Amino acid sequence: MTTVRDARRPTLPARPPRALPPPERRPFRDNPRLILLGIILLFGALAAMIVLADQSTELSPDFLSEVVLYALSAADLTMVLALVFVLARNVVKLLVERRRGLPFSRFRAKLVLAMLGLTIIPSVLVLLVGGELIRSSTERWFSQPIDDVLRSANEIAVDYYRDRETVVANHAERIARVVPAAAVEAGDFDAVRSALAPEVTQGRVGLVEVYRIHEGSAPTPLVAVESPSLPLGHPRSSASADRLAARVASGSTDRRVHEPLDGGGELVRAGALMRDPATNRPVGVVIASDHLAGEFAEHSRRITEAYEQYRQLRVLKRPLEGVYLSLFLMMTLMILVGATWMGLYLAKRITRPVQMLAAGAREIGAGRLDHRIEPETRDEFGSLVEAFNTMAGELAGSQRKLERSRLDLERKNQQLDERRRYIETVLERIATGVISLGADGRVGTINAAALRLLELDGAVVGARAEDVFAREDLRPLEALLKRIHPSTADPAAQEIALTREGRELHLATAATPLQGEDGGFAGAVLVFDDVTPLIRTQRVAAWRDVARRLAHEIKNPLTPIQLSAERMRRHFGGAPAAARALVEECTTTIVGEVESLKNLVDEFAQFARMPAPRAVPSDLNGVLADTLALYKDLFHEVRIERQFAEGLPAIRVDVEQIRRVVINLVDNAVEALGGGAAAARPSGDPPTIVVGTRADAANGVVRLTVSDNGPGISAADRDKLFMPYYSTKRRGSGLGLAIVRRIIAEHGGSIEVTDNVPTGTVFTVELPM
Amino acid sequence: MMRRGLAALFWAVMLTAAAAAAQLQVTPLPRDGRVLVSFKLANAFTDEIRAAVHSGLTISFVYRIDLKRSSALWLDSTIATTEITATVRYDNLTRVYHVTRTQDGRIERAETTEREEDARTWLTSDFDKLPLFSSASLEANSEYYVRVRAHTTPRNASFVWPWERHDVTGQTKFTFVP
Repeated sequence: MTTVRDARRPTLPARPPRALPPPERRPFRDNPRLILLGIILLFGALAAMIVLADQSTELSPDFLSEVVLYALSAADLTMVLALVFVLARNVVKLLVERRRGLPFSRFRAKLVLAMLGLTIIPSVLVLLVGGELIRSSTERWFSQPIDDVLRSANEIAVDYYRDRETVVANHAERIARVVPAAAVEAGDFDAVRSALAPEVTQGRVGLVEVYRIHEGSAPTPLVAVESPSLPLGHPRSSASADRLAARVASGSTDRRVHEPLDGGGELVRAGALMRDPATNRPVGVVIASDHLAGEFAEHSRRITEAYEQYRQLRVLKRPLEGVYLSLFLMMTLMILVGATWMGLYLAKRITRPVQMLAAGAREIGAGRLDHRIEPETRDEFGSLVEAFNTMAGELAGSQRKLERSRLDLERKNQQLDERRRYIETVLERIATGVISLGADGRVGTINAAALRLLELDGAVVGARAEDVFAREDLRPLEALLKRIHPSTADPAAQEIALTREGRELHLATAATPLQGEDGGFAGAVLVFDDVTPLIRTQRVAAWRDVARRLAHEIKNPLTPIQLSAERMRRHFGGAPAAARALVEECTTTIVGEVESLKNLVDEFAQFARMPAPRAVPSDLNGVLADTLALYKDLFHEVRIERQFAEGLPAIRVDVEQIRRVVINLVDNAVEALGGGAAAARPSGDPPTIVVGTRADAANGVVRLTVSDNGPGISAADRDKLFMPYYSTKRRGSGLGLAIVRRIIAEHGGSIEVTDNVPTGTVFTVELPM
Repeated sequence: MMRRGLAALFWAVMLTAAAAAAQLQVTPLPRDGRVLVSFKLANAFTDEIRAAVHSGLTISFVYRIDLKRSSALWLDSTIATTEITATVRYDNLTRVYHVTRTQDGRIERAETTEREEDARTWLTSDFDKLPLFSSASLEANSEYYVRVRAHTTPRNASFVWPWERHDVTGQTKFTFVP
């Protein structure tokens, strides 16, 4: 994963500006405010639980068992699920990380397991011990002595109340019998009051109230007599007395009631039904009341309340115990969840930077040098991350420099390569042979001209020079190489002659030693030029000079010799016949030979003074036809055939010079066939000369061929044919083919001689179109 | 620890057995445009309940009465529901039972007695021909049933799983004949 983060940190190296990704939302674990809030909530929850535990006995039983216990159990269950979820999630993550082989997954797994063990084991132990302590503590709430004391105290209070009720009830019954029923029925207040007064004045009861019963309606108060000892402000004819009177009148057996007073204490009331002695018909109700002092009533009520609380505590023992256990379990779970989360967080906090560094190192190793790691802390891990980012930045800078250097190098290499190819092309195309030798004496490179001139093949590259030049004709090259001095840069030059297919090849060779940067011997370069044409030209020039001198030196005395011979012939014209015949014969011979010498000298002069051709567009076939017409019926035994190409384009030639070329070549062919009376060839074929033309548009030339089926020319003579003063004929001057060659050369063409098939010779003239 | 666990299991079994022993007899009677319901909760005044009552706690017997119609394809439909709560509070000083009965929150009856038997009767048995539902919406000759579910509060809930219910349920079918 490549992440580009926090490029604004001052310690990071400067990088080109780029679009920053939107800021990531900080997770909970990295937000100090949220962590602080979580801690406050945790402590708030703990405080609430402590308060709840403290107030648990004061809560309503219904609220305790229906709300509190349910809520705590639900909270416990939720926290257990949360804990299981957190643990399961992290265990699954650890397993996945281990299976994927992520770095530090084993270390993280061990760290998490150690932290969980350090958290869970003590927590479970504390939970077990604490739960047992809570159970034993609740058991200790109840003991038999306390039970006995509270029960006995309550019995005392109950018995006292019961006694007072009995006493008051007895007084009410007795008063009901004492009070005259007729007075009550008649509503005689005085009679009734006088009957009641002794009961009150004698202190038997504190208050006596008499109700009169009307048929079909509720009893109505008739008279009440009160003792002065009763506390002031008690309700006379209160509602409770009215209800009690009604209950008694209805025949209910429930004839007692306790009425709390505002000033403290209680009134113990008891009712009795008054009946008419004659008819036994109820005529009234007597309510006798006695006052229980406030302090005594309060103490009794407290005793009973204490007894009831004790009994209620026993009844509510299970819900209360459940509340305490739930609270304790919740605290334990909160601590466990918190500790687990903290353990996981610490494990992540420790391993995450290392994992990020490992991932970052992989990214850097993969070449993504823009990868950066966001420092999440300011501690040592943060410094490590900063150092990593700095290193990555420096690597990126170095890589950019390297990239630039590489591009420069590639460009230079490309230039060098282009130059090398150019040089190689030049070397391949030039006519000069070049061979480079390494310091070890092996052939490094050799161009096509060298291969052609030395008749070598490309396999010699890498071979030792002494092996390559071990061939007999190449030994001069080996000798030349031995002449060069590795310590000096002076070349060694020599002209050597090789024989190629019987032709002499003259090479101007030069061997130059190469020096390395340290001045040491680094090899040699062998360069050789084919100077054969140059030498040939030099020879021709020399011959031309000789011919001119000879013509000049020889021709001058010929005319006097010829004149002298003719003078002698005329002088001896009158001599005797024998002498005259002798003179005639001698002078004739002299004149003939002088004439031959003149012709010879003229040819030499002509060779020496060959004029520049006056080329005009001409039809070569026409020129040839006109020229060959001269041979019509001239040789009966020799056939001259024409093979002219049709549509031959006009070329610029000097017609007279070309005609001379053709005549020379045809004459040579006739001479090679044995002259005009040539016999048939050994194969039976007649002596034949073929003159043909052909256009070669691809090479831009027109070819003129003159071939014969004569005996041919030996390879040794072939190259010398065009040399002046070289002739295979007995009476030839040796200048014919030299002149032909010069004419063709001055027309920009070339001439070469090859063997005809099966026998004979072919002269091929190429003239530019 | 093991002993405590076994004890808790024992009490859970005992409470379940006690709840199972309690029986609720229901008798519906359609008459005069009303559905009169009589029910009686037997064996519910256990020692545990008696101890709770005598501890001075306010103990309530809550009866939820549903008039329902059976459905073969779907859940039974509830036609009407009412709740009767009989509450007792025992005064340990005067040894008097204060019994109150409410129906859907309305106080219907308030009694005091010194006799435990009377209090028990008022709490569990004195529900005779109570005109709880109107029969106006009932279809003639159709079968209905009255279901009564009873439970006490406060619950003696346990720590491990307080949601455990100990309701006693009884129901009786009847055919409505106007």
